[in-house]
Amino acid sequence: MISADISTVLPEIVLAVYAMLALIFAVYTGKDKTAGLVVWASAGALLAAAFWIGFSGTDTRTAFNGAFVNDSFARFAKVVILLSAAAVLVMGKDYMARRDLLRFEYPVLVVLSVVGMMMMVSAGDLMSLYMGLELQSLALYVVASLRRDSVKSTEAGLKYFVLGALSSGMLLYGASLTYGYAGTTLFSGIIAAAGTEGLSLGLLFGLVFMITGLAFKVSAVPFHMWTPDVYEGSPTPVTAFFATAPKMAAMGLFARVMHDAFGGATQDWGQVIALLAVLSMFLGAVAAIGQRNIKRLMAYSSITHMGFALMALAAGTAGGVQAMLIYMAIYVTMNVGTFAFILSMEKDGQPVTDIGALNMYSRAEPLKALAVLVLMFSLAGVPPLVGFFGKFYALKAAVDADMAWLAIAGVVASVISAFYYLRIVFYMYFGEDRDGALDGTMSPVLWGLLMASAAIMLVGVINLFGVEGLAAVAAQTLVN
Amino acid sequence: MGQAGRTTRAGNGIAGRLPVALAGALFAVFAALIPQIAEGHILMLALDWVPALGISLSLRIDGLSLTFALLISGIGTLVLLYSNSYLAGHPHYPRFALFLTAFLLSMLGLVLADDLIVLFVFWELTTVTSYLLIGFSHENATSRRAALQALFVTGAGGLAFLAGLILLGAAAGTFEISAILARGEAIRGHALYLPILGLILAGAFTKSAQVPFHFWLPNAMAAPTPVSAFLHSATMVKAGIYLLARLHPALSGTGTWLWALTIAGAATAVFASVMALRQTDLKLALAYTTLMALGTLTLFLGQSSAYALTAFVTFLIVHSLYKAALFLVVGCVDHATGTREAEVLGGLGRAMPVTALAAAVAAMSMAGFPPFLGFIGKELKYAGALAVASEPALVAGAVLLANALMLAVAGVVAFRPFWRPAAGALPRTPHEAPWPMLAGPVVLAALGAVFGLAPGLLQGALVDPVVEGFLGTEAEAKQLALWAGVNLPLILSLATFVLGLALYAAHRPLRAALIRLDAATPGMDAGWDGFIDALRALAAWQTGLLQSGVLRRYLFITFATVLLGLGGTIVARGVWAAPEGLAGVSWKQAALVALILAGAALAVITRSRIAAVAGLGVTGIGVALVFIVFGAPDVAITQLLVETLVVVLVAVAMLRLPRLGPRRRRPADAALAIGVGAAVSATLLAVLLAPLDRRVTAFFEATSWPEAHGRNIVNVILVDFRALDTFGEIAVVLIAALSAYALLRGTAGRGEK
Repeated sequence: MISADISTVLPEIVLAVYAMLALIFAVYTGKDKTAGLVVWASAGALLAAAFWIGFSGTDTRTAFNGAFVNDSFARFAKVVILLSAAAVLVMGKDYMARRDLLRFEYPVLVVLSVVGMMMMVSAGDLMSLYMGLELQSLALYVVASLRRDSVKSTEAGLKYFVLGALSSGMLLYGASLTYGYAGTTLFSGIIAAAGTEGLSLGLLFGLVFMITGLAFKVSAVPFHMWTPDVYEGSPTPVTAFFATAPKMAAMGLFARVMHDAFGGATQDWGQVIALLAVLSMFLGAVAAIGQRNIKRLMAYSSITHMGFALMALAAGTAGGVQAMLIYMAIYVTMNVGTFAFILSMEKDGQPVTDIGALNMYSRAEPLKALAVLVLMFSLAGVPPLVGFFGKFYALKAAVDADMAWLAIAGVVASVISAFYYLRIVFYMYFGEDRDGALDGTMSPVLWGLLMASAAIMLVGVINLFGVEGLAAVAAQTLVN
Repeated sequence: MGQAGRTTRAGNGIAGRLPVALAGALFAVFAALIPQIAEGHILMLALDWVPALGISLSLRIDGLSLTFALLISGIGTLVLLYSNSYLAGHPHYPRFALFLTAFLLSMLGLVLADDLIVLFVFWELTTVTSYLLIGFSHENATSRRAALQALFVTGAGGLAFLAGLILLGAAAGTFEISAILARGEAIRGHALYLPILGLILAGAFTKSAQVPFHFWLPNAMAAPTPVSAFLHSATMVKAGIYLLARLHPALSGTGTWLWALTIAGAATAVFASVMALRQTDLKLALAYTTLMALGTLTLFLGQSSAYALTAFVTFLIVHSLYKAALFLVVGCVDHATGTREAEVLGGLGRAMPVTALAAAVAAMSMAGFPPFLGFIGKELKYAGALAVASEPALVAGAVLLANALMLAVAGVVAFRPFWRPAAGALPRTPHEAPWPMLAGPVVLAALGAVFGLAPGLLQGALVDPVVEGFLGTEAEAKQLALWAGVNLPLILSLATFVLGLALYAAHRPLRAALIRLDAATPGMDAGWDGFIDALRALAAWQTGLLQSGVLRRYLFITFATVLLGLGGTIVARGVWAAPEGLAGVSWKQAALVALILAGAALAVITRSRIAAVAGLGVTGIGVALVFIVFGAPDVAITQLLVETLVVVLVAVAMLRLPRLGPRRRRPADAALAIGVGAAVSATLLAVLLAPLDRRVTAFFEATSWPEAHGRNIVNVILVDFRALDTFGEIAVVLIAALSAYALLRGTAGRGEK
């Protein structure tokens, strides 16, 4: 029995053991001198895990009496998480090395947080949920303040920690209420106790508190305040990490809790999540307009995009979960490309984050500018780029669930948010000539990721690389 | 070549010729389809795209789409040929040709699509490519602003259109246009009909620049003239018209449709023709006449009578032919003389005879003189206007006024610059344009004359199939004829000539008056700048409010949201439990409550950190005492131990912080704290009303003695049932203590250095 359990969670165990061994190895050998090696090894380990999980069959297996669930949904989310984390690790290596930030803890912490994320999307129990969540969060708190000598970075880390601890507390409070009234921490037990005709009061308050905690993790408005500060304050590679894998994990966890534990009460949480979605879409769209710092801008962009993913989730249907998964996969891909470009934004070797620096970029670097144009249009959801299909799936899910008002609000918000994506394109193509353009250099890794991401946005239009089929299967296993 | 160095007859090489060949080939393909369509066939072509969403890449060629496809590819060929000379030697010509060709293909995709989503994709592609084309002269601030404005207005409309499409798809149960057209009854009766119509009209009206979304179109004239000729007369702005026409069978026939289109169309037509007279820039004058045409087309699409729809098709074709010709003529004049100002230009007839001839023929069609196609179009417009279901007199009046103004504008644009005596020195000596630039105007103008003389050609090939598509096979299009006998439309035509010539004669004083009037009225264009500024201000305001960077404020917002969430749930569920049995409270319990409250108050009020920590400790000890009073000494001991540890740790950390500043009153924080406390208490009271799940309790009650030989359940759980957990917890506490010790020692050591 226990061996079957362990074989089900083997990828997680292997990764966790790898992280600890890497830590010991680095401490007892060259410390930060080995950091480059650890980065490559970690990226390799994440990549290998992605393939392992991706090709590990299509059945649903549970371990530890249902506390850990390995189904298509979890595998879909895990592959997205692992691939994006590997890409981001490799992407940031040069940047951090040049700024003397490349410490060996960084890749180790990233791997540990990824293990936490994998637990999150596989959680079948309130306890495994919390374990995964905290493992992920604690690692993220530390990487957010990786630049210890920078006031901005430490402040960002501290804010993130305080607000994160608060939200974890609320989540725990909700979890304990849920446990008290369901008599079990297992999701399958909770959904049975909840029944189908409305939640009991105790479970309802448990649900409210848990949504509050989860909303913080996906940075939905009004629990989003940490996002812009942390995005800006953290070193850019860390920001890139924040913008990709943890978002997928948090959305996956959100969907998992809502459907696996409270699937019978969609009418209770659908409206709450719809409200969070509308607030996030609008605030993210409006607030980014005034931003000139591209990292803060991407923070608000992430808030808007989470709003869209929540909109899909609010539908409370298998179609909604499918839309959410597709949306997140597309979003993460776009962000990898965009951050590959942001990492290369340098002037005289110094990082630049002001979007004014992109003036007439198309003249100096036509190919890169074109790739960024594709990514920006895709982020804005302009057809026929892949980003449009993500939005379309989400809108359709909302309409199919009789939430036409939500879909219309989403459309209005995406009009507003188009403003700032297009402004970047505007600067690049129609800007004014100024001296002091960006340095033209870009490492092959960054260049490759930028081009690959942009190419996916173009070529993916043909059939979305079959992602929609996989997402449909994944959604079916979660919602039934 | 006496021209400036960069203008060479060599053109732009392969980048110049290839697009012309492509567009020409497409035109030939579509022209070859005319016989089939004229016989009433509908050609379909389908390819699965995203099957899960029911999206397929399907094309539908019927009368309506073929008419548009012919106009787009035909005029596109001429415009591309023209551009190759107009922008000869331009350093970015390949880019320009790419954008223009991409636009042409998107536009063709739009009119041929048989799937709403595919249609939308092409719709947005035309928006994006037109953005790039309008902003082509990006050194120029005006053209940058115009490009952005056009993109936003049409882009916003496009997204509204998307929302409408999704709703329409949901209402019809399919995204396939052919199927939707067949389900008109169901859609019109659907509960969501009004939102669908509103959103789709928003998309169509912004794209086709109907009042009040018209302001971007005149600004878009910042684009190079061939672009204006192509996008802003013949194609892109007609996309909205196409959409309305395409969905006419599905959506039309209701009062809302009729009135929305009639009012918007009539208002646009009259407003635009008045504004056209006001302009001195020839291109702007043409831009406003385009608006007028779009308004008229919308007006007729509001109707369902055979007359109105025949008028719609005919005028659509007439307008595309003469308007593109005139734009190209203005481009020739601009190219040859360096100006487009009506007050400067004069006496060009001798230097540019071919251009002048083409201009005259096109203008005659525009003004509606026989024997040109414009005359037939005008007659049909009157007939259609008199047949409208709503207010025939009003509509006919609007059309009459618009037509008369059109005649005057035609004179200003196409007659005066060529035939009045030269007014003054021109920036350049005029010369005749090269043949590729003349081909467009001449061919288009000639077509207007040919169709006018032989309307049967047009009728059989295009007009009949289109009208059939609107009204079904049994309906018949009205006859296109130069002479339809003496009837009311003919009399109205005569009135138009008289009024139009009078307006032309008086156009200069009228223009001066209009310029004064225009300056005095606030326009949407100024509103646009205000809107953008307001959006920026809103962004800045909310950032200041929500994103202050102050952690305390973030916490405030978080707690306020929690308060709202809890309060909302309590109110929504209507649960309110009064604490029962207050009478049974003993003095000991009351004293404990007082102690806890006093501790909390001390922590909040004091200025000394150590006192605040002590206050917190008092609260904790009070809670421990509560456990003792209620008979749980073991829990109380745990609580006491934890409390002591926490107080010590917090004190150690706190004492390293800087001193507290002077006291500030924070009533909002106090209110929030009390609110959250009250809400949590109310929640607990309400929640406790429901019976707790006692399965776990029952299990331990039953098994603690027989299996673990203990009567204190808590103890048994800690040391027996969950002994391994307890061991783990102890280990964790130890590790945490060790790490804390290491941390504190580390910082203390550094502090001493």
